[in-house]
Amino acid sequence: MGDPVATRPAASTAGRRPSRRGASLRARRRLLPWTLLLPALLVIGILLLYPLLRVVLLSFQDYDLSNVVSGESDYIGFGNYVQLLTDPYLWRVALPNTVVFAVFAVGGTVVFGTLVALLLRTLGRIARTTVISCIMLAWAMPAVSGTYVWVWIFDVDRGIVRQLLQAAGLVGPEGINWFTERLSFYAIVTLNIIHHGFPFVAVTVLAGLLTVPRELYEAALLDGATAWQRFWHVTVPTIRPVFAVVTILSTIWDFKVFAQVYLMPGGSGANPEVLNFGVWSYIRSFSRQEYGLGSAIAVMLTLMLLVITIVYLRSLFRDEELR
Amino acid sequence: MTVRTRRRPRTRIGWRAVGTWAAVAGVLFFTLFPAYFMVASSVSVQTGSGTDVLLPEALTLETFHYVLTEAGFLLYLRNSLVVALITVLGSCVLALLAATAVARFRFRMRTSILVMVLVVQMVPLEALVIPLFLQVRDLQMLNSLIGLSIVYIALSVPFAVWMLRGFVAAVPVEVEEAAYIDGASWGRMFWSVLFPLVAPGLVATGIFSFIVAWNEFILALTFLNEGDKYTVAVGLRQFFGQYTTDWGAMMAASTIITLPVMLFFLAVQRGLVSGLVQGAVKG
Repeated sequence: MGDPVATRPAASTAGRRPSRRGASLRARRRLLPWTLLLPALLVIGILLLYPLLRVVLLSFQDYDLSNVVSGESDYIGFGNYVQLLTDPYLWRVALPNTVVFAVFAVGGTVVFGTLVALLLRTLGRIARTTVISCIMLAWAMPAVSGTYVWVWIFDVDRGIVRQLLQAAGLVGPEGINWFTERLSFYAIVTLNIIHHGFPFVAVTVLAGLLTVPRELYEAALLDGATAWQRFWHVTVPTIRPVFAVVTILSTIWDFKVFAQVYLMPGGSGANPEVLNFGVWSYIRSFSRQEYGLGSAIAVMLTLMLLVITIVYLRSLFRDEELR
Repeated sequence: MTVRTRRRPRTRIGWRAVGTWAAVAGVLFFTLFPAYFMVASSVSVQTGSGTDVLLPEALTLETFHYVLTEAGFLLYLRNSLVVALITVLGSCVLALLAATAVARFRFRMRTSILVMVLVVQMVPLEALVIPLFLQVRDLQMLNSLIGLSIVYIALSVPFAVWMLRGFVAAVPVEVEEAAYIDGASWGRMFWSVLFPLVAPGLVATGIFSFIVAWNEFILALTFLNEGDKYTVAVGLRQFFGQYTTDWGAMMAASTIITLPVMLFFLAVQRGLVSGLVQGAVKG
């Protein structure tokens, strides 16, 4: 669909067989792909898949510092999950901080990114390239330094936002600590995430927009469609797969936000009201040494992401076989 | 070209253009302001408050000097470079081999492996950090930059395979066949024909892996607890105090971290976007 895709033909002609060589060579040829894959599969298996299995096992154990030292395991079945699911903290704080935040962050990123893509389409070639390069800079900002810049911008005592609001008379001299309130805390996180995430959406949606045949718009124009109608009835249906991809990828990214919360004031545990699943799991494990409980939180987060991933894969491979 | 189709009668061009450029200005302001504010804070003599640095009265590089020498950022930069280089080399080699396998051969379980490589990228690091910490601890490799690099290779390989797959598939099979006709073995063909042709893809993949290793925070935070082993992402935390923060130093250090990533990003942007979309859409 997208422009970049068309430039890379798939390996349709791959898999030819050596014709004139002997049978032993053919056998070696059969083993060759596996030999090539082996190092990557080993690394993925040992460092990604095995830990994934282990975190599931840990989530069924009561695993604390003494277990770390002794190496013994202490299985308690679904004990950790029962404890977590009956904890009002999960329902009142951690889950909304993860899911509601993700809804707003994804919505904001996709809507803003799409608006920027529509804007980019109306620009000339040079202007478009320049603006794309600039918005790439926002994407390139590492999460760690980007988060600190936003914390500095919103610094409670000396930050530029506070000073501007105070100069405008909207905030009294006593100021507001927006990092202690959950809503304002996550408003800043959302701003940070949208700023970091919209360039990907904008560039991808733009690539999609440029593939929409011009005739479709001309036909709609002849039928007297307004700009809004052309967008909803021509653009959106044509590049629906692009929207599906950017929405689901953004959802996956926004569910596992970590540094952007952890590095904010109070985000590393001092303020329990602002933790999301990822940070909660990390603090339970590494600040309180409750590795079993922390693992159970992490497994729940992984399960949520797995559901989203399955939806994602279905939307990808619905009408096209994986080649 | 799309501009031409959207032209309207003359009287409306003026307002349309004004609206467009106002929107462009707004987008650029939102996009660039944090980066501007970061750099301005790092070079401003006065960093007492936000308005001090908005338009710095006097410029200085003294903060950079302080950050690099006294605050130890030269050491963190060196650590980060070591980790990033090992990650780049490791993931490029592994990904090139694996990408060749999935792009050039048909074999059983090929589709399953591709789906596995795609799905494994969705696993949150928060879930991996606990078992990885215990594993690395048992191996006595906490505070080891090599240990951290090996984990980063695993993190960057799946996406690198997806990205390189497209580059390998784009090399015409006829080129390979010509090498065989000239009597080359598969290995000879791989090094003398395929490798040079996918070199641009390797550069893009390498830069991607560099960015992964350079930016990674949660694993570095967990594995490294000796100050002289910090990478830049973890070293940045030292400026953040519970009550007061040295924002000038913090922003200078942030600038140092951000610059290489921005340069690489601009170099690789096309490949990165097409790689993401391709991995995402084409399958």
